[in-house]
Amino acid sequence: MLFNSIDFAIFLPIVFTFYWFVINKNLQLQNLLIVIAGYVFYGWWDWRFLSLIIFSTIVDFSVGLQLKIEENQTKRKIFLWISILVNLGFLGFFKYYNFFLENFITAFSFFGTEIKPNSLRIILPVGISFYTFQTLSYTIDVYRRKLEPTKDFIAFAAFVAFFPQLVAGPIEKATHLLTQFYSKRSFDYSKAVDGMRQILWGLFKKVVIADNCAEFANQIFNNSTDLNGSTLLLGALFFTFQIYGDFSGYSDIAIGTTRLFGFDLVRNFAFPYFSRDIAEFWRRWHISLSSWFREYLYIPLGGSRGGTLMKVRNTFVIFIVSGFWHGANWTFIIWGALNVIYFLPLLLTNNNRKNLEIVAKGKILPSTKEFLQILITFGLTVFAWIFFRAENIKHAFSYISEILSTSLFEFPIFRGITRALATIFFIVIFLLIEWYGRESQYAIANLGLKWKQPLRYAMYYSIIVAIFWFGGKQQQFIYFQF
Amino acid sequence: MKRFIIKIIWLFFPILMVALGMEILMRNIPNDYLLKNQYLENHSPEIETLILGSSHSFYGFNPEYFSGKTFNASYISQPLKYDYKILEKFQGKFDNLKTIVLPISYFTLFSKLEADSEAWRVKNYIIYYKMKISSKSLSDYSEFLGNRKNVGIKRLVLYYILGKSQVTCTESGWVARYKSKNARNLTETGKIASIRHTKDNIYSDKYQKRYKDNIETIKNIIKWSENYNIRIMFVTPPAFETYRKNLNAVQLNTTVKTIKEISSKSENCTYINLLDDPNFIEEDYYDADHMSEIGAKKLSMLINNKINE
Repeated sequence: MLFNSIDFAIFLPIVFTFYWFVINKNLQLQNLLIVIAGYVFYGWWDWRFLSLIIFSTIVDFSVGLQLKIEENQTKRKIFLWISILVNLGFLGFFKYYNFFLENFITAFSFFGTEIKPNSLRIILPVGISFYTFQTLSYTIDVYRRKLEPTKDFIAFAAFVAFFPQLVAGPIEKATHLLTQFYSKRSFDYSKAVDGMRQILWGLFKKVVIADNCAEFANQIFNNSTDLNGSTLLLGALFFTFQIYGDFSGYSDIAIGTTRLFGFDLVRNFAFPYFSRDIAEFWRRWHISLSSWFREYLYIPLGGSRGGTLMKVRNTFVIFIVSGFWHGANWTFIIWGALNVIYFLPLLLTNNNRKNLEIVAKGKILPSTKEFLQILITFGLTVFAWIFFRAENIKHAFSYISEILSTSLFEFPIFRGITRALATIFFIVIFLLIEWYGRESQYAIANLGLKWKQPLRYAMYYSIIVAIFWFGGKQQQFIYFQF
Repeated sequence: MKRFIIKIIWLFFPILMVALGMEILMRNIPNDYLLKNQYLENHSPEIETLILGSSHSFYGFNPEYFSGKTFNASYISQPLKYDYKILEKFQGKFDNLKTIVLPISYFTLFSKLEADSEAWRVKNYIIYYKMKISSKSLSDYSEFLGNRKNVGIKRLVLYYILGKSQVTCTESGWVARYKSKNARNLTETGKIASIRHTKDNIYSDKYQKRYKDNIETIKNIIKWSENYNIRIMFVTPPAFETYRKNLNAVQLNTTVKTIKEISSKSENCTYINLLDDPNFIEEDYYDADHMSEIGAKKLSMLINNKINE
């Protein structure tokens, strides 16, 4: 089920009504409803893959209980590895089987050995990368004794299948989300209103910004061989805003929805395109994934302890793995590698933690230096996104070489220029609102709170009208494929 | 909680009312789908030749130039699956039907309406043709939800305020909108249309599935017509050289080879490939893959002669 579909617009009020009006006095039933709602939400896409979620849930719940009972360290390790192998096994099979097979065959053919390909027709289950990481956080934290394993299977199943963040995050750690399922929830008016506002803003980002940008980004990337450099640059810019609007919009809707049910999720985006360097960008982009990798990969590898070489190696590993997490394609690995290349100079000169606060805090405008830093960081990001969006590496290189040719100075030509101009207008409005609200949790968190009601409603209606009137063709959320 | 619910209702009630009003008003605008369905409801027993298919038929076959009573039931992006649903819906009512003209274009075997950019048209078959189509998307059951809102409002303004009709086809189902005097640039349209119609890899799982489904539908149509002793004429319509030269040879050969094979297996079927028929010249085209009214006349007469042979 998509957040920006009428199906979800009907589904959400039904679940909300049952949750707060019918079974509001029974925590167990509320959790059970969340499990059922999660399965319906997921099964709407393909019910067959529910079995994977249910299997992962049972395995990790059982492993958690065993880890609690077992004192023998070797046996505990074995249980942990069962959980890791089951979860990463599913992920590896569904996401990476064909990639490894194809590369294996290519490698052997290089040495003159022909291997008959036996690739499988595998459908990638939606959200597998997200819920796999989430359940892994549970077993790892229980293994580390950072978290008491739960004996409440329903609460654990609800934690795994919590529908707002089931298929595209934010990736929650068990220490933060699972514990919220244990305590009684009471309806909080201001939290619910804030949730609704965040949902509204998320929908605007997705439907008005991302879906409109997607039409042009798709058109330009799919026909890149016939287009000039300026059009391709515009295509890369459209994709840059598409992916941000799409993914951060999804996160906003997810976070807003959970607030309606009395939960709090971690923040996933913090105005990343206003970053002054790449290190800051990575503290502001897909925060829940970066935080997962830091805690469960970077630190176990040694983190920033040890020598410079160790630090560089560990940073390389998490960026490459992060790239690979996004998809079984060399383009994602190159994207990860590019980011580590951007990042390393900052790390080696100890400048990677220089810009911790949001830019121009308490000021209206940034300084010239800050503005240039934002522009350079943005430019580097746009360049890296070309690899992320390209079909393959060859496509990415031909795309970039055309941008770097003299045709960059020609006038952009593609279908629907008038609509593209309207989209650019919306991007500018969007950036202005984001800039205004950059010190808040999300751009409109504080916008209009002190206005009189009619004016505030006028703002809501303006956003709703923009969503209905200017919404692009419905597109699936990009991060579903990861 | 009560306060929250009241505010939500207060916020969304006007939106729901506007949506409901727009839905009712939009459904009451006469349109091609509605009229085609009404025509078939009332005149199926009289029809001798039925034309099905996509825009290549919609613009290309003018029933006026057929000798028997002919109706053009094709529409823009209408896939084989919906052609078959039309036959099924009016099954038992085609008392005089002798021939079905079914175009097999370059893209036909690899298309799926629900999955491409024209998916919003599905609602028209549900709402106006009243076909039994199981769609999981609620927007396929509503004019308000199924259209972009600016398109919906534009239609309302055009019809209710400016009094402009939304019907584009004649009573016999052909559309006379593509005039030769307004013909588009054939070089440019040839390139754009061929890119749009070329699938990136017809051997991918996605396109192989579509191919199999479409073949299955063709077989069902043949079986259906054999039951009623109706002849099927498969036609690959003409296209201008700027379109043809940009086609993918594998996709084209697969299409032609497949339909040749299928039609050769049934006595009821014939196949005519007019893709590069030299009789069709520049002035016959509105754009590189659609006939103008001149081309439609020529194509219709040619097919009519074939039917009468």
